[in-house]
Amino acid sequence: MSSSSLLTHPTPWWGRWALPFVDAAVFDFWAGHVNATWSWSRTLARVVERREEARGTVTLVLKPNRHWRGFQPGQHVNVSAEVDGRRITRSYSLSDAPRADGRIAITVKQVEGGRLSTHLVRHARVGDVLALGEAFGEMTLPAQPQCRWVFLAAGSGITPFLSMTRALAAQGMPVDLTLVVWARTRAELAAVAALEAIAKQHPRFRFEAVLTREPTEDPSRRIGAETLAAVLGRPETLGDAEVRACGPGSFVATARTLLAPYAKSFLGEAFSPVVLDDGAAAPTKAVQITLRRSGRTVTVDDRQALLPALEAQGLSIPTGCRMGICRTCVCTKHDGVAQSMDTGDLDTENETALRLCVSRPRTDLTLDL
Amino acid sequence: MSRTKTLDRPLGTEDLERLGAEIEALRERTVATLGERDARYIRNVAKAVRYTELLGRALLMGGAFLPTPWLVACWLAGALTLGLSKIIDNMELGHNVIHGQYDWMGDPHLNGAKFEWDIAGTSANWRKTHNFKHHTYTNIHGLDDDMGYGVLRLFPEQKWYPAALFQPLYAVIFALLFQWGVAIQDLRLGRLLKGRRKMREMKNELIPVGRKMRRQLIKDYIVFPLLAGPGFLTVFTGNLVANGLRNVWTYTIIFCGHFTTDVITYPKSTVKSETRAQWYVRQIRGSSNLSGGFVLDFLSGNLSHQIEHHLFPDVPANRYAEMAPVVRDICRRYGVHYNTGSLPKQFAQVVWRIVRHSFPSRPRPMRLARANAAT
Repeated sequence: MSSSSLLTHPTPWWGRWALPFVDAAVFDFWAGHVNATWSWSRTLARVVERREEARGTVTLVLKPNRHWRGFQPGQHVNVSAEVDGRRITRSYSLSDAPRADGRIAITVKQVEGGRLSTHLVRHARVGDVLALGEAFGEMTLPAQPQCRWVFLAAGSGITPFLSMTRALAAQGMPVDLTLVVWARTRAELAAVAALEAIAKQHPRFRFEAVLTREPTEDPSRRIGAETLAAVLGRPETLGDAEVRACGPGSFVATARTLLAPYAKSFLGEAFSPVVLDDGAAAPTKAVQITLRRSGRTVTVDDRQALLPALEAQGLSIPTGCRMGICRTCVCTKHDGVAQSMDTGDLDTENETALRLCVSRPRTDLTLDL
Repeated sequence: MSRTKTLDRPLGTEDLERLGAEIEALRERTVATLGERDARYIRNVAKAVRYTELLGRALLMGGAFLPTPWLVACWLAGALTLGLSKIIDNMELGHNVIHGQYDWMGDPHLNGAKFEWDIAGTSANWRKTHNFKHHTYTNIHGLDDDMGYGVLRLFPEQKWYPAALFQPLYAVIFALLFQWGVAIQDLRLGRLLKGRRKMREMKNELIPVGRKMRRQLIKDYIVFPLLAGPGFLTVFTGNLVANGLRNVWTYTIIFCGHFTTDVITYPKSTVKSETRAQWYVRQIRGSSNLSGGFVLDFLSGNLSHQIEHHLFPDVPANRYAEMAPVVRDICRRYGVHYNTGSLPKQFAQVVWRIVRHSFPSRPRPMRLARANAAT
C-alpha cells in the first residue's frame, strides 16, 4: 500500500532537494508550534467535531493534514493516540462517505477495558490531534454498484456500512439495499437517526434493527436461520444479492454458513478478541509470522524465541547481545501478541518495538522484517 | 593491593542468584510504573535541546552585527548555549533514546532504532559499538573497544608500546576531537594499518560515516556561518567552540564511567560461562558513578548513574536517580563495592590512570585473582 502511494505521489522537486538537509523530527517540532497537525511526513489529523451517536459511542470528525491519501467507503484506518505516555493504535472504520472538504469520520464504541476506545469516547476533545495510518480494507463498493446489496452488522460492526450506505445514498441509491444491525439495546444502536433519515428519503433502502436484550433478553433473536429469514426472506431468494457482514468472529461465521451458499457474493470482516491458552501446560503450537517488508510468511513454534526461530528459516537479522540488552534486533510488531521471555509480560498492542531475541510469539504476528 | 582486597566480599552461588533476582525485581517494579511522567520528561528534554539550539544560534548570528563588547558577550553566550544544546542532545536525549529507553512510548521521533543525533558519528555505528559491544562485554579485554578506544592504554593488562609514553598528549587531543574519534571507532582503522582489514571491505562502511560527517560539517561550518553573511567568522568560531565544549564534556563524563581506580576489568574467558547474575556483578564492578544532584544528572545524560545505566540500559534514564539508592543497598547487603564519588575525584583518578599506564605497568597478582573470583 505504501509503495503504491509513493508511486502515485512522487516527492516534489523541492522535497527531493531539501530531503537530505531536513531532519523530520526538527521540522515537526517547530512546525508543531504553529499548527499541531503540520508534519514533514506523518499523517496527523485534528478532531474538529465530536458527536454522541449512542450510549458509549461517539463519532469524531477529523481534519487530516496533506499526507492523508483518501479512502474508499467501507475501509478502515489505524488511529493512534497517546494514553498515559504510550501511543496506542487501533483500527477503526471510516464511518462517513468521502467528503468534498476532505474531512473524515470515525465512529468509536467504548469497549470494556479498551484503552484507545475509552480514551477516544471519554477524553478526546475538539482540537486534539490523532495520528493516522493509510486507509485499508477489501470490503468496498464497486464503481457501479447494481442489483441488490445486503449489509449485516453486529455492534460496532456497523461502521463500515455507515460509510457505504452514505456513499450509496449520495449516488441516489442505485441498488436495493438492506442493512440489518444487531445490537443489545436500542440505546447502543449507533446513528439510528441518520439511517432512518436515509431510509425515508430513499425507498430502495431498508434499515432493520434487531435488539437481543430489549424488551427482555432473548437469545432467539441472535443471528440464525430464523432471524435472517424474518428480515431477509428465505435465503434462496438472495441469488442476486451481494452480502457483506461485519461483526465478531462468530457472527460473521454464522452469516457466512447460512448465506454464502445462496448469495451472489459474500464478504465478511470479523473482529475478535484474542484468546490465549495460558500456562506452561498448554501444548506447543505453530504460529504464522507474516514478514511485511519481505512479503514472506513463515511458521514457527510458540515456545522458541523469535530470533533463533526466524534465523532457522533462513532470515538474516541484525543481532548483537542475544540476551535482551542491546536492542540491535528490535523490530516493529504490527499486530499479534508476543511474550517477553525474561519478564513474562504480554505485549498485546499493535505497532510496538519487539526484542526478537527474548520474545516468543503467542499468536500469529506481523513483523516489520 | 590491600585496598582492592577489601572492596568486595566473596559471593557464593546462592547469594549471587539472590542478588540477580533483586536487581531484576527492581527493574520490573520500575518498568511497571512507566507512563505519562516519563513521556513528559523526555519531551521536555527534547524541548530543551531545540530551544537552547535556537537561542545559541540566534546569539551567535545576531551578535555578529553588534559593536565589539556586545559581540564578545553574545559570542560567548551563544557558544556556551549551543554547546549546552549539543550536550543535552547527545547525552540526556540521544544516548538514552538510542538505547531504546523510550521505545515503549511508540513515538516515531523517540524510536531507538531510528533516532539520529547532532554529532559526527552515525547512530547506527553507535548502536553497534556502544549498545551492543560496550554494554554486553563491558570491561572485557579484547571485546569492549571502549577500554581506551584503541588510542589509550588505561589498564596494565593492555600491551605497552613506546608510543604510549606520549599518551597524556594524545588524551588531550582525543578529548578535543572526541566526536570524531567516536565517529570512526567502528571502522577500526588500526586494523587497517596493520593489514588485518582490507580497504575494499571497509569502503561500504565508510559511505554512511562519511555522509554523516559531511552533513555535520556543512551544517555547522558552511550553512549557518553563510546565513550570518558578514558574521561568517563569528558563527564559524562559535560553532567550533560549541562542538569542542561538547567533546570535552562528553569525554570527561564517559571516561569517569569506567576508568576510575577501583573498576575491575575482565579477561576474555569471562564470557564463556557467565550467568546473568554474574553479568550484573560485572556491570556494577566495571562502572563508576558520579555523585551530584539534578544538574549533574541532567548534563551527564544520567551517566552520573553509570552503574544503574549498565544494569538497566533500556530503562528510562530519568528513573536512575530513584533506583540508585535501592541498587546501592543491594550492593551493601551482598558486599559488592559500589563505586561512586564526586566528578573531580573520579576524574582525577582517570587522569592518574592515563599518566600511570603511559609507562610500563603490570597487573597486580591479587587484582587478577579477584577479577577471576568475581566472575
